[in-house]
Amino acid sequence: MSSSPIIELFKEETRRSKSTFRQVYAVIWANLKILLSYKYWVVTDFLSTAASIVMYFFMGLQVDPAQLAARGYGEDYAAFALVGISTSQYLWICLSRLSHSIQHDIRGGTLETVAVTQIKMGAYFLGQTVRGYLISLFFLAGTLSVGLFVLRIPLQINLSTLTAAFVTFLLMILSNQAIGFITAGIVMVHKRGDPVTFMLAGMNEFLSGVLYPLDLLKQFPPLYALARLFPYTYALDALRKTLTGGAGMFSPDVYYDLVVLVAFSVILLPIGLKVLKWGYDTIRRNGTMATY
Amino acid sequence: MKTKELIGFLRKEREDAKEAGVLEKVAAFVARDFKTWWTYKLWVTIDVLGTLTFVASYYFVSKIISPEILVEAGYGSDYLTFAVIGVAFQQYVFSSVSTLSESIRSEQWDGTMETILSSRTSFRVFLLGESVFRFIIGSYFLLAALALGAAIGVKITANPWSLLSAALVAALLVVSHMIVGILGAALILKVKQGDPIVWAFSWLTQLFSGVLYPLNLLPAQLSWIGAIFPLTYSLDGIRRCLMADATILSPIVAEDVVKLVVFIAASLPIALKAFRKAYDSTRKDGSLGQY
Amino acid sequence: MNAIETSGLTKRFERKEDGKKKPFAAVDNVDLAVEEGELFGLLGPNGAGKTTIIKILCTLILPDSGKAFVNGYDVVKEPDKVRASIGWLHGETGGRALYWRLSARDNLRFYASLQNIHPDVAKKRIDALLEFFDMEEDADTLVKDFSTGMKVKVMLARTLLPNPPILLMDEPTVGLDAASAVETRKLLKALSTELGRTILFTSHNMFEVERLCERIAIMNSGKIIAVDTPLKLSEIMREKKAVEVRISETADPKTLGLLQSIEGVGKVIKAEIGEDSSLIQVEVRDEQEAIASIPDFLQGKGYNVISIQRALPTLEDVYMKLTREPA
Ligand SMILES: Nc1ncnc2c1ncn2[C@@H]1O[C@H](COP(=O)(O)OP(=O)(O)O)[C@@H](O)[C@H]1O
Ligand SMILES: [Mg+2]
Repeated sequence: MSSSPIIELFKEETRRSKSTFRQVYAVIWANLKILLSYKYWVVTDFLSTAASIVMYFFMGLQVDPAQLAARGYGEDYAAFALVGISTSQYLWICLSRLSHSIQHDIRGGTLETVAVTQIKMGAYFLGQTVRGYLISLFFLAGTLSVGLFVLRIPLQINLSTLTAAFVTFLLMILSNQAIGFITAGIVMVHKRGDPVTFMLAGMNEFLSGVLYPLDLLKQFPPLYALARLFPYTYALDALRKTLTGGAGMFSPDVYYDLVVLVAFSVILLPIGLKVLKWGYDTIRRNGTMATY
Repeated sequence: MKTKELIGFLRKEREDAKEAGVLEKVAAFVARDFKTWWTYKLWVTIDVLGTLTFVASYYFVSKIISPEILVEAGYGSDYLTFAVIGVAFQQYVFSSVSTLSESIRSEQWDGTMETILSSRTSFRVFLLGESVFRFIIGSYFLLAALALGAAIGVKITANPWSLLSAALVAALLVVSHMIVGILGAALILKVKQGDPIVWAFSWLTQLFSGVLYPLNLLPAQLSWIGAIFPLTYSLDGIRRCLMADATILSPIVAEDVVKLVVFIAASLPIALKAFRKAYDSTRKDGSLGQY
Repeated sequence: MNAIETSGLTKRFERKEDGKKKPFAAVDNVDLAVEEGELFGLLGPNGAGKTTIIKILCTLILPDSGKAFVNGYDVVKEPDKVRASIGWLHGETGGRALYWRLSARDNLRFYASLQNIHPDVAKKRIDALLEFFDMEEDADTLVKDFSTGMKVKVMLARTLLPNPPILLMDEPTVGLDAASAVETRKLLKALSTELGRTILFTSHNMFEVERLCERIAIMNSGKIIAVDTPLKLSEIMREKKAVEVRISETADPKTLGLLQSIEGVGKVIKAEIGEDSSLIQVEVRDEQEAIASIPDFLQGKGYNVISIQRALPTLEDVYMKLTREPA
């Protein structure tokens, strides 16, 4: 141990290299590495998503095809459920992931050590968010492959439906990410798990028609109206209309859904960012950036 | 702080000290967990809501289902009742089992587990204490789910003997799943991550224990898998009692009960041994307080 | 320009008392000035408010009132510039504040990116720091498998990595073994003397501060109660005359009371009470007089006096005295 090499090194004038991109990349890279070190988790999570598809495949065998066909969703409940379950799981896991990793960083004390560096907290939150979506793509792809290639669930796949589905998918993420920001803001301050995402996920799964055709809800107008308040309801409808119904992006129903999703994004995202900032400022005021 | 007085006090204390019995210790665990749980009031509400919406979903699903397969399996023709019982009990055991391993993980994380196990509390009492509370709380959700089910059209028997029989099967379900929980906890101690056993358990049972569909619907190559899980027998027994007026004297239910008892007798010693091994090995590599 | 300067800095938190939440000042109207290139110690018992001050300087906690400047930048208005000027270490976390599931090197690389350090420069520095801390062999081991001491070393390396002009070292040697602590102090000293880095160093251990720091502030209950060089601080004590008596019994309030009843003996400064011998320091009017009178008096009362001498005040005494007195 001799301090002189360090002193010499620190005497050198050095280049700074300011790059937000590199910072975001570092956040993604480090957290990806951390996640992959949890090997069991990666495997079990994959298996459990795949298993849920299989389960609904079997459940679907009891479904009366006429009931589905009458509502314009084709005759295949498995396809109907595959689109619903794979996207809703993807979305909610991603949305909760930001607050999870923030909590993890609060617990471990690393949120503070990141915050005193020169990273803009926006870059940190962006990195954590993007990482969430990237990782879950792997699960989404796995789920879809099990559905398509193992269970041979028929989906309408061609250039037009894929483009439409892709655009819907991006808008689904954008319009819902506000929820992720809002919950992350709340979680930072209240430190109590992530009740909001959990609750919204449950309500969406119920109200947006993940497991049954949405118009069954019309029997109960208040519930139906409530369902219309969630962007995911529109996203799911559009995804199904394209992937199981074969519609393209500019078919009137899908187009309408997409416009609504854009509107949701424009309204909700700024609110989400405000709440996130509020959460971060509050823990700095309360001095609770490392307390849980 | 006056050192001398504290020392004197402790010296005297030691002479007077009595050991607390197992029951008192378990009660202490339950009290502690209840207090912690109660501070998460928001979560409690959300959990109830979650269970409720889950049940409500099946109200709508039941509308598009044709009951032939159900009838063929001998559960009557009411899919809503079938699904609500299946989902409510599956969730019940899953949440009890997973919160058990979660709490062991967070105790490990916070270092409180080291403190507890370094006190004069054996790991068996520790496990019992940890699990009893989970099942008490779980029952609360179970009842909430069944009550909501009743409100939206679930029809269960009014025959007292059938109800009693269902309660007995449910009790066996609790005991057998505490054992599953302990196995999960043992694995957590070892691998420190997630709760692979618990998740595998959750999804395998959903697939193969007949939670959402009767097992005669599965292809023959797959249906044997359900036989491994105590949930399969429990659900079968409970459904036959609640939906078809059977009692434990009915041969099919009696068979379920015997299988559950055998499962418990065989797996309890294995689970305790596994936990002991995992505990010892973490002590050996010094990773008890690690996460 | 002062490297660190605060004026009227105040931070209130809430604390539960009798079931009710009451505000209290964790940092109470603190004025502090640390010159550029100075090695400055902030000394105080646990809960004095040291960490809170440091975190305010790090921009991690927003103050309620008062001002704080680091490297000339306002910590509230120009947090980005402040963060570009500092390295922060929180030794009390005992190594928690690292990514346990990344290796030591990956941790450092990660922080290097966040600190805008060019990858080539980062590589050189990381290698040098790992070498300094004798960690080359463990560089690629996951941090979770490290001892506390090794984790603290990684944290130290992370703090030094951006080569900042100002180092905020909050109990940096907690958890280090004695040899590493000595080396670390030497490195800090060298950074200060050879490179002119400003170092604010907190500790509740007066010995390390006494040896290391050029100036010391003593803190208690959120307030700074004294600022000076270690030497000057001990001199405050020297103005008071005191003797140190050792008796071969357990001293109790009765013994202490007896001592004070002697003509020319004042307050008890310190009492170390043991099973079969006790050391008591008392203020006296005149040392010679007391050294003569106390043994006679005590022996007359049946006590066995082992030794008596002039009490030489140490920084510890200053510290004990200042932090015991209600502010
Ligand atoms: N976020 C917080 N909320 C409430 N009280 C706090 C918070 N942070 C610190 N405190 C309290 O403020 C006081 C000063 O704490 P701290 O600055 O950590 O002291 P030190 O570092 O000198 O030991 C202590 O009484 C501590 O309990
Ligand atoms: Mg401190």
